[in-house]
Amino acid sequence: MKSAPFVMHQATSKQEVLDLLDQFGEDARILAGGQTLVPVLAMRVASPDHLIDINKVTDLNHIEISNGTLQVGAGVRQAVLECWSNLHSVQPLLQMMFPWIAHAPIRNRGTICGSIAHADPSAELVLALAVLEGSVILRSKKSKRIVKAGNFFLGALQTSRQSNELIEAVQFPILGDDTGYGFAEYGYRHGDFAVVAVAAIKEGNRWTIGFGGIDDTVRVHQFDALTLEQAKHLINQLASEIEVREDPTATAGLRRHLMRTLGARACQQAMEFKKDLVQ
Amino acid sequence: MKNHSVNIILNGVLRQGQCESRTTLLDFIRHELGATGTHVGCEHGVCGACTIEVDGQIIRSCLMFACQADGANIKTVEGVANSDGMSDLQHAFKKHHALQCGFCTPGFLMSAEDLLRKNPNPTEMEVREGLSGNLCRCTGYVGIVEAVLEVAASRVNVNGERHA
Repeated sequence: MKSAPFVMHQATSKQEVLDLLDQFGEDARILAGGQTLVPVLAMRVASPDHLIDINKVTDLNHIEISNGTLQVGAGVRQAVLECWSNLHSVQPLLQMMFPWIAHAPIRNRGTICGSIAHADPSAELVLALAVLEGSVILRSKKSKRIVKAGNFFLGALQTSRQSNELIEAVQFPILGDDTGYGFAEYGYRHGDFAVVAVAAIKEGNRWTIGFGGIDDTVRVHQFDALTLEQAKHLINQLASEIEVREDPTATAGLRRHLMRTLGARACQQAMEFKKDLVQ
Repeated sequence: MKNHSVNIILNGVLRQGQCESRTTLLDFIRHELGATGTHVGCEHGVCGACTIEVDGQIIRSCLMFACQADGANIKTVEGVANSDGMSDLQHAFKKHHALQCGFCTPGFLMSAEDLLRKNPNPTEMEVREGLSGNLCRCTGYVGIVEAVLEVAASRVNVNGERHA
């Protein structure tokens, strides 16, 4: 349970990070909060030759609203965004999810972008980025590209990031004031990985539903429904049709059942959503 | 190869040591600095036994490398006790049998102190939620929750605030 030896590079600027990535690429990993990477190293699932520590890079710590999105830099810790005073009005879905993301000591150190980089299909932040149709800003020494969540998450722990690219920031689109949000999750212990998590977004009669934990990537579906009953009915149909995985933690049947019950709960929340009531 | 020189303030005292890149902060504090109050549990961030405070925030010391902590102000369970003996929280743990084997206790004490600092008057649910990142295999948590609630009540009373 000890990491294999590696060379630690403690970068102090974004440019230095990009230079190191350019030089070491596939032999290097970015170390942000380390709440997933360090266990992975300790269990020797990965043993990169180089770690590029970005914790001392101050120009990655921004939380800002730009181009109608909430943009969160690579250095922003989950606890920092959780306590950001505008979160409930700008991005209520994230506010609803935070209590479900691991535990306080993990959120104190773990970063938003680190969770996105890890691309665990049962992670709440991955679900949020997918269902809000957000983007990932990838920067290498020579270029910058912005990739939509749908094109970024390729599979379980698989993304379209190239080995010389840094996830500089992620963008969560800010939706209209009359948007309704709902979120429901089931896990075996509080703070544990979701067996199934459902996020519902209601813009008028247009619904966007994201299911996390059911397969290798988050599944996002859209439909029109005039009433809550219609929405629940469509979720029932989706739960029967979508492919779900079966593993030792839950059968496919249990996952489908959770998609229906949690889906109904998330839709009800979205229907009754009032921004001021989000805690 | 111990190629990093690390300076930290550990429980108010400046300490210095050498470590490899891969040395966790947990191993550094125990092996290099000899402060063995913090316990090594799962070593992958699940059990909470190694919870310590770094620059005012509780973290898992098994999920941080020692070289990243250079310059940090760190508090461990050794810093919880007063100069005249155990803290009120430690006394309450003893009174309520909030430990049996004691392996998880350093982590619980650090998490509980953090919880009480952020929420001086928690409900039972808030205590359970606040400590949910720490695992105890002996007590069933009842004694731990009782101890924290009792200390919360007594501290609030001392501070002259109304206790709900």
